[in-house]
Amino acid sequence: MRFALDALTIFAVAAGAFFFLAGTVGLLRFPDALSRVHALTKADNLGLGLIVVGLLFQTEGLLAGLKLVAVWLLALLAGAAVTQLIARIAQAGGPRV
Amino acid sequence: MADFLLGAAGFVLAMVALGLVRTLHGPSTVDRIMAAQLLGTGGTAGLLLLAQEMNLPAAVDVALILALLAAFVSIALFTDAAQSDANRG
Amino acid sequence: MKGPFGLLRGTSDPGLLRPAIARAVGLGVLWLVLAGGNPVDLAPGAVAALAATWVSLQFLPPGAVSVRPASLAGFTFRFLRQSVVAGVDVARRALDPRLPLHPGLVVYQTGLPPGPSQHMFTTLMSLLPGTVPTGPAPGSGLLIHCLDVEQPITAQLAAEEALFSSAIGWKQDNG
Repeated sequence: MRFALDALTIFAVAAGAFFFLAGTVGLLRFPDALSRVHALTKADNLGLGLIVVGLLFQTEGLLAGLKLVAVWLLALLAGAAVTQLIARIAQAGGPRV
Repeated sequence: MADFLLGAAGFVLAMVALGLVRTLHGPSTVDRIMAAQLLGTGGTAGLLLLAQEMNLPAAVDVALILALLAAFVSIALFTDAAQSDANRG
Repeated sequence: MKGPFGLLRGTSDPGLLRPAIARAVGLGVLWLVLAGGNPVDLAPGAVAALAATWVSLQFLPPGAVSVRPASLAGFTFRFLRQSVVAGVDVARRALDPRLPLHPGLVVYQTGLPPGPSQHMFTTLMSLLPGTVPTGPAPGSGLLIHCLDVEQPITAQLAAEEALFSSAIGWKQDNG
């Protein structure tokens, strides 16, 4: 049982770390600011989500697990709200359409 | 397991550092706001991993505060950018 | 006087009482999850929950949306799946040596009324695959930045919007 849970944690956390890698590669390679916004929001939020899922297999007690999920949801919501603001300035500063 | 979580935390924070080099260099305000956002998401992930690895539940609270502060920093920078746009005309 | 006390005055309106209590309970539970049930923390928790309820009533007045639990569950599940698709899509493009991007702006006409429901939809949109909302388009509609303008972006967004509308109880044909 312990071993199975540890395996699930390793799998999910490794996948999460991979998406942080992909997000950073996107930040470095994508040509314009708005495309970099995509890389940052989507890849990093999925990375954080997978790491939270991985840690859920290690938590003891329902409350600790719920708290991890709450932290993730708040981070997700804050990130999504801010992304729109970032995109709005990037668009205002860029070429007019 | 502890070694793995520590390694994962180190890796994620290294990715954040690499991304920060890019975003802080970036010419526009947008890139700098992205730096705050990157630090928020990546820092949260790193702290959650460390909280589990070091059996330090308080680090989860730090992670939460970091995620929310990053949002406020971004909003402050956005307001500032909007203000200077308005002043420019 | 404004502040959490405004909430108490506002509760004389019977239409406001039930949503206000429901939100206060929900936010109080969120506090308990985040801060734990230590008795010393309960008083600040109650103050925080009341203040948060007041802010939430200001920015999202009751009646603007009426959530349907069954549709919401379906929408949440789909949304989680879509954010995985979004992350995989960005990762694939970022790691592909050829860097397959066709970035550009697309105008999308939404049937949602301006205000809270439209804001909620654009917030969700920034987590959907390939789209980041960048504000109102000149004239009408929303300006969307896409990683790949060759994808059928507006059709996908319309499908997401139909699901979202049904989850929050907004009838598309009103718009």
